[in-house]
Amino acid sequence: MATEACRHSWSMTDVRYGFIVVEKCYHCNDERSYFAAEHVPPKEEYREGEHFWDYMGSSQSVQLNLKCEQCAEVVDLRELLGLMTCSGCTDECDLNVLSRICESQRIWVYAALTYDPDVEMKAHMAEKLAVLSQYFNDRIRTEGKKILVVPGWLVHDIDTCHGSVLRDVGMFEVEPEPQTT
Amino acid sequence: MRLAELKDKLSLKPMNDVYDKEVEGAFVSDMVSDVMAGARPANVWVTTQTHKNVVAAANLVDVAAVIVTRGRPVSDETLEMASRAELTILSTDLDTYSLVGKLHEAGV
Repeated sequence: MATEACRHSWSMTDVRYGFIVVEKCYHCNDERSYFAAEHVPPKEEYREGEHFWDYMGSSQSVQLNLKCEQCAEVVDLRELLGLMTCSGCTDECDLNVLSRICESQRIWVYAALTYDPDVEMKAHMAEKLAVLSQYFNDRIRTEGKKILVVPGWLVHDIDTCHGSVLRDVGMFEVEPEPQTT
Repeated sequence: MRLAELKDKLSLKPMNDVYDKEVEGAFVSDMVSDVMAGARPANVWVTTQTHKNVVAAANLVDVAAVIVTRGRPVSDETLEMASRAELTILSTDLDTYSLVGKLHEAGV
């Protein structure tokens, strides 16, 4: 991703405010999340193949891309749903182990939550998250401190994980009720 | 301006150890998503929020300190996490509007 000619100086671009929406299929009980860059979270039920997706909840969040100020290269981070910190709930979790090791070296680990990754996306995400880490680290003023953004699939079991996702819950209680006719 | 000087000037109450850092500007928001996208390193972050995610977002952006307005209580869990991240949490009984006025007067 990084070209040899450019040492890259990343800045945020295409900042999109919206919602992380959680939905559940009431046919097979599968759950999934996605980012909706809308003013209010979409709550309509809909069918997708064998699935019947039903709105479960949402929280406000932000999506962004990174752009190099030198060469204008853009790193598209649309797969990124949010960042999460580890709460240390189980020793079986690679994120927990890594977070503990890194904290002793003043490195703060954030897990990037993405849509269900396939093999190709996993390969690309590692590069993208390295750029995201660089973006944060290039701005740090506190001497000796570092940020490391790692893939969310290091989490042992996302369904039972107690990690803290950086999002705004309960900040949108005045949203308009859906209009009924 | 250094954080310790600002704390004294505005009579801000430290809720944990003061990690004295250079302060450059302020950012006002009660949303962590806003801070991730808009706050700059060395800003002081003025908010009424006190949950743990505040520390996670402040640490990510490397703000100089978090200032909690309206005297909102801060949990031990949040303070412990802030100290691990060498992040100062300051408190004031002032509301956000009044505090921001004082920050401006102080040259922040």
